[in-house]
Amino acid sequence: MEHTQSRDACWHSRHHSKMAVCIAVIAKENYPLYIRSVPVQNELKFHYTVHTSLDVVEEKISAVGKAMADQRELYLGLLYPTEDYKVYGYVTNSKVKFVIVVDSSNTSLRDNEIRSMFRKLHNSFTDVMCNPFYNPGDTIQSKAFDSMVSAMMVQAS
Amino acid sequence: MSVPDYMQCAEDHQTVLVVVQPVGIVPEDQFFRIYKRIASVAQVSIRDSQRNLYIRYRHHYLPENNEWGDFQTHRKVVGLISVTTCGSAKEWPQTLDRFHGQKEVFGATLYDSRLLVFGLQGEIAEQQRTDVAFYSSYDDCPNVEKRVEDFVESIFIVLESKRLDRATDKSGDKIPLLCVPFEKKDFVGLDTDSRHYKKRCQGRMRKHVGDLCLQAGMLQDALVHYHMAVELLRSVNDFLWLGAALEGLCSASVIFHYPGGTAGGAAGRKPSLAQGQGQAADAGKRHRPGAQEVLIDPGALTANGISADTSSEIGRAKNCLGPEDIIEKYKEAISYYGKYKNAGVIELEACVKAVRVLAIQKRAMEASEFLQNAVYINLGQLSEEEKIQRYSILSELYHLIGFHRKSAFFKRVAAMQCVAPTIPEPGWRACYKLLLETLPGYSLSLDPKDFSKGTHRGWAAVQMRLLHELVYASRRMGNPGLSVRHLSFLLQTMLDFLSDQEKKEVTQSLENYTSKCPGGMEVLTLPDGLKLPPVAFTKLPIIRSVKLLDLPVSLRPHKQKGLLENNMSTKSPFIYSPIIMHTRGEERNKNIEFQWVQGEVCEVQLMVYNPMPFELRVEHMGLLTSGVEFEALPAALFLPAESGLYPVTLVGVPRTAGNITVTGYHTSVFGVTSDCLLEGLPSVITSGCMVEVIPSLPRLQLSTSLPRSAHPLQPSKEELSSSVSVQLFNGETQHLTITLENIGSEDLETLEVASKTCNTKEKLFGEFLSWDLEEAVSQLPLKPGQSVTLTVNIKVRLDFSGGENLLQDLNDDGISVTGLPISSPLRQVLKPRAETKPLGSESSKTDYNHVKLSSDTTFISQFLKLHVANNKIKNAITTIYITTPDKTHYTYRIYTGARISFLIPVCCPPTRHCKYEAVHSISRLVKLLKNRVEDDVQAAQRLSADEVVLTV
Repeated sequence: MEHTQSRDACWHSRHHSKMAVCIAVIAKENYPLYIRSVPVQNELKFHYTVHTSLDVVEEKISAVGKAMADQRELYLGLLYPTEDYKVYGYVTNSKVKFVIVVDSSNTSLRDNEIRSMFRKLHNSFTDVMCNPFYNPGDTIQSKAFDSMVSAMMVQAS
Repeated sequence: MSVPDYMQCAEDHQTVLVVVQPVGIVPEDQFFRIYKRIASVAQVSIRDSQRNLYIRYRHHYLPENNEWGDFQTHRKVVGLISVTTCGSAKEWPQTLDRFHGQKEVFGATLYDSRLLVFGLQGEIAEQQRTDVAFYSSYDDCPNVEKRVEDFVESIFIVLESKRLDRATDKSGDKIPLLCVPFEKKDFVGLDTDSRHYKKRCQGRMRKHVGDLCLQAGMLQDALVHYHMAVELLRSVNDFLWLGAALEGLCSASVIFHYPGGTAGGAAGRKPSLAQGQGQAADAGKRHRPGAQEVLIDPGALTANGISADTSSEIGRAKNCLGPEDIIEKYKEAISYYGKYKNAGVIELEACVKAVRVLAIQKRAMEASEFLQNAVYINLGQLSEEEKIQRYSILSELYHLIGFHRKSAFFKRVAAMQCVAPTIPEPGWRACYKLLLETLPGYSLSLDPKDFSKGTHRGWAAVQMRLLHELVYASRRMGNPGLSVRHLSFLLQTMLDFLSDQEKKEVTQSLENYTSKCPGGMEVLTLPDGLKLPPVAFTKLPIIRSVKLLDLPVSLRPHKQKGLLENNMSTKSPFIYSPIIMHTRGEERNKNIEFQWVQGEVCEVQLMVYNPMPFELRVEHMGLLTSGVEFEALPAALFLPAESGLYPVTLVGVPRTAGNITVTGYHTSVFGVTSDCLLEGLPSVITSGCMVEVIPSLPRLQLSTSLPRSAHPLQPSKEELSSSVSVQLFNGETQHLTITLENIGSEDLETLEVASKTCNTKEKLFGEFLSWDLEEAVSQLPLKPGQSVTLTVNIKVRLDFSGGENLLQDLNDDGISVTGLPISSPLRQVLKPRAETKPLGSESSKTDYNHVKLSSDTTFISQFLKLHVANNKIKNAITTIYITTPDKTHYTYRIYTGARISFLIPVCCPPTRHCKYEAVHSISRLVKLLKNRVEDDVQAAQRLSADEVVLTV
């Protein structure tokens, strides 16, 4: 009995660790299309984090060079670690950037899980773009996208 | 060592450090003038050798940093130049004492020193001393540079001798152990005879010799020594010194690879707060004469590149690290430094140097890793100033590697540090200046024009924060004008992103600021030359459309008929094309059909919208125009909270003739006046903003003696009309007096009158109206303020013999003679004045037909008979009005023709339907009427016959 409980707890914590604390979608021209973070009182901090991470994203994109642009991998990996967070990046072929910020304390987080989060995000973003009423370049105000992002975020307890 | 020199770069390893200090009282500006001249001697080529000596000057150096001089010799103060003022011989001994005192501070490491004495003349000044130079004044010292060069050469001699001294040390001799300050106590009681200890001594000494070689301009020797040192120190795990040896290797390689230096020119080396002006000067002068000392000697190459006999190694580039290796070795060195808490400054400086190298190599990602590491190096308790310095340098370095956002982030942190609550005297000015520098990093420009293109796309949350900080900093700086400008900018550009609560707060504080310092449209120029363009509140309120309005009909200009033909010829000779090329921009400038008139009040209608969640007070709202002189008459508006579209009419008077373009509007909101130009507002819909203003025209006011018609005829679009009505009996004559008054400012020259009857068949009526124009015309031209009267005679002469058709036509309207269009080429103002209309003649006429009915209604028949007998109602229309006591009015109309008469109930009790009843004799008519009236009167409640009024 006790054994199962601890396994449950373990599963729960793993599930929890998979979650992001901030998810942002950045337009080609480097302005935010969508940015959402968990602790609302500290929203601005995440704005700063994501904003500064763009330097690294740009550097990584330009480092790959034009010749490689076709077979470039979309996932950029860890952009940079800060004291409390790890920032991951992803660039679509149309140069739209996704940034996911996760808590550094979640050491159990695997690269694969981050990749799958980005893939999900990309799929959902594609759905948004397919909406004929969405103007590319406008901020994203899609409920479906919202709920998908919420599912990936740590629930504020 | 606690204070890092963030300005250091790899090539500083080859410099020798000279401290220049004032002794006694030296005016600061004079000192820095001399300092600059001294610092200009940054590189001296030594006679009889191909070597160069590089000098780094400091006017301030901590003696505790000097203690690290054995660790890295470029940290050692080897020269001292003292500058002093000495007015008289009496002060001389004291001055000399001070100089010696100062020498003692760096005593252990100094190779040589000089004293520059200014102001002393006489016997003492004439003695020849190598270590003292006398100048009569700060302005008269032509050979300072020469003196300094000599001084540098003497330093070189000492350096060279030390180098040779150390380099030729035989391994058999007892080598002293060099150590850094914090190590000293660690080696107490250690076995000095062990192999391990000896190797450590050797390794450290090799490294030291490498440093000396590098300083003495022998790059290749230095490389060799460093390599050897690395080998030796690695074997004994002397990590701190191994790090230093590796760094030395890196420095030497960097100097070899990048003769232009890694400091990045003057831009990368701004003088920091602590280090003063000297830096900038020598950074620019820093110049490498190429890798001239590299003379390849292939014969001397050996497999491992390390040989005890360094003389054979001279001129080899083999030992030099490749660009990739430099970074690897820097990483390694830094990781070794990181093992020692007390070497934080060394580690930090190494990081900075590595970043500069990477910046040259354009490897931003790796550079950012070094910087990231530098951020986390803990230097213990830093003073606020040191923190500011650290953050600014981080910002600069991030800028150097192209990470502008990160750079802006740190700059902002530095700015915030300037005004940290722990600082007793917050530096708001510095804070503000630093904040301004962060603007490009946040892609924020302070020009509202950049925001006019559609919705703002940017990091609104972050930008808003920055703007708020700018507002606050400028307020604390004591510059409310700047605060107002920034706050206006915030409100204008970030309006879409502000919550309702924030909108309220921002406007409230804006109003607070403007109460002290109203905002305007002038460009604000900051002391450092930055210009803050004006901010126009184009969103408070939002304008949706601008429409120029035509003048009211009575004031519209009309073309004179006679001129119309001329006008035809001005039409375009080109064939009409259905393809109209037009763009929005052209539309905006297109001409408007109508014209405005000089001196008249002209109107422009704006559709406005208040986006704020509270009532918006717009004051002094007026038009901005170009072209003719225009007097705008400002208006004040109160727009309800989040109003929908709201029409606002702005008025003004053109004062001259020509073309006028409405370019925008002027408002004053929250104490900020703004001029909003339409060209900057692409969302505004307009149907053309340019209109022709024609010279002022006379104005004519027309009044008549007759009352105004209750049912004026529909005026046609182009015509002005004023209706008067009069009812006349057939055959009656009446005079209509028309008064024409010139109420304009121009003379009135011509007057034409024409008449026309309408609604009827002409043959039946003939001419009703006649007038004599001559008298009126004789008074022309009519000066402003004058009036002329024109009498029109109305004579009714109807022929009723036409029969029923005519009566049918007349029906119940009588005859309308309308029009009386006063055809004048000039404009006419028809303003019948109700209060002046003379009613007299008409009322007196009807008086005698006004009869009160007695109780016996037979009166009616008598009355009618009388009229018929008198032929009064023969061939005429008679209207009988009956007023009952309860104020009900009945109206009958009788048409009496030669053979047939009609009785037409016009307005009767509801039982009577309007039906013609035809009779063939007057007696029948009278009887019919009598019956009818009696019936109707009885039908009225509680009739008292006395009160029935019969009017014909």
